[in-house]
Amino acid sequence: MKINLEIIDAVNIVAKDEISDLRTKELVPKMVFRRRLTRAAKLVVEVVDKIGFEDGRIIYGSAFGELTASANILSAILNDEMLSPTDFQNSVYNTAVSYLSILKNNKNEILTISSGDNTSEKLLKIGAIKALDGDEILLLLTETINIKNIQEINNCIETLETVVALKVKVTEEDSTLNIPTQVNSDYPKSIALLIELSSKFDKNKKNIIEVQI
Amino acid sequence: MKINKKVYINNFHSISCAGNTSEELFESICEKKDCISIDSTYVKGRDVAIGKIKSSENFKTLLFNACKKVLNESNLDDYSNTLLIVGSSVGGMLTTENTYFKDKNYKNIDYNQHTINSIAYNLKKEFTFYDDISFSTACTSSANALGYAKEVLSKGIYKNVLVVGADSLCSTTVCGFSALSVLSSNPCTPFEKDREGMNVSEAIAVILLQNDKNINSVELCGVGYSSDSHHMTQPHPDGLGAKNAIQNALDDAKISFKEISYINAHGTGTIANDNSEANAIASLFPNKPYLSSTKSITGHTLGAAGAIEAIISIMCIQKEIIPPSKNLKDPQRDDVLFTNEAISQKVDYIVSNSFAFGGNNTSLVFGKCNEN
Repeated sequence: MKINLEIIDAVNIVAKDEISDLRTKELVPKMVFRRRLTRAAKLVVEVVDKIGFEDGRIIYGSAFGELTASANILSAILNDEMLSPTDFQNSVYNTAVSYLSILKNNKNEILTISSGDNTSEKLLKIGAIKALDGDEILLLLTETINIKNIQEINNCIETLETVVALKVKVTEEDSTLNIPTQVNSDYPKSIALLIELSSKFDKNKKNIIEVQI
Repeated sequence: MKINKKVYINNFHSISCAGNTSEELFESICEKKDCISIDSTYVKGRDVAIGKIKSSENFKTLLFNACKKVLNESNLDDYSNTLLIVGSSVGGMLTTENTYFKDKNYKNIDYNQHTINSIAYNLKKEFTFYDDISFSTACTSSANALGYAKEVLSKGIYKNVLVVGADSLCSTTVCGFSALSVLSSNPCTPFEKDREGMNVSEAIAVILLQNDKNINSVELCGVGYSSDSHHMTQPHPDGLGAKNAIQNALDDAKISFKEISYINAHGTGTIANDNSEANAIASLFPNKPYLSSTKSITGHTLGAAGAIEAIISIMCIQKEIIPPSKNLKDPQRDDVLFTNEAISQKVDYIVSNSFAFGGNNTSLVFGKCNEN
């Protein structure tokens, strides 16, 4: 089975270590709320503003989840230190989109998937299946793996902060864009395909992909 | 999309602190057995009550055996034409903790065994699936896996879906909930006036859903989602998000609140959750269907809870028994109808609630298969 998806808008931001020039202060005026945001939450807030999505269903993906919060928890337990409640509440995989839903007062279905290296492909599939209902769906994917001592376990990923957003809807029109088969190996495998796809997005043309289910 | 095929639960298996089979689980609940134990190893200087699986096998072996048992009891030769949907909030964290606490560094952590995807990764070494996807939305993870299973089967995209809800105990979750000051040192008593908090537990629940039914099938009739958009860990005090999820599930099932015989509550035993959920239920169900929290026997199995409580709900319908809460002596509310004893009665439809961090809410409606 195949489902054709029109990409209505797409944006990605990547950085070797840390994405700079985020407008978090402007986009999240309440300091108490802003201070609790994880890096992934800040990235999500940024791209959602760029893509202009206020309300509706969101499917979010991340292979590694909230690594900073998880690493802080592990370190606190190992060293018999006080474990931060904020780190724990921020350690769940749906943290970033939960903050987004609070910020935007979005009461819709918001799901989070995590399918390892194949998270991009699975996000496109679930997005296509959900979009069969006729609404515009926001697909979001982040990887924020720039934690202290990450080099102990990472020797291949050069780009440690990445975020991508695609606004999609189902179409019966033919595909105009091939889903990339070659991806940049500097990115985490989980997000590389969606970064490549969003980079191919051209606002002046129809951007339709065929998703094989 | 107009295709609206029926979705049937045809086979299932579970392993939890309340038993190593689903029959044992249901018996433990109906007989209100003591399944929660007191532990002093996870949280330094403090006893906490937890729900631990009683088995000499490790978690991965138990999970593999559970999937094999469901396959053997199904009408399938293998899982090659089956979509695997995993729901987990912990994934491979226990494996990571064991490595990290021993080595005191990340060097020997295998990322394939660390992430949420580790469950599907390991299962795919043993079984061939058509495809797979893993959900991780904290304590709604496997409820959302079941919701997606219903969606893909009703839309006619797949014919067979295996839902796996699995979360093992680990220091991160037990110490984390302790840091949030919501853990009880005793077996939890959801909805009790003087409740102390929740119990973290572990469980595996495996459920096969198909378009074709068999003689014992129970239907997954409805799924409802909502987001609180309120607070990361506190549900909306009036239960607005919970109410939306339940109403959406009833709408999806195309049934009225009057047709619900029993509600399996999320009912964690925390002050905030139980108040919020009771508010939602009281406002939606003036007819007061029976309500209990089986977490008073199983503890809170986190990402596995939606699937474990789905199995309990399925068995309620099959056996026509409404399960009790345990140790509910002085309920905080009188505008909902709690049951302290197992009650034999006709059960047509059940609502099962799952709520999670971030205000992620999912309600499921299960129903008896009436038509031929």
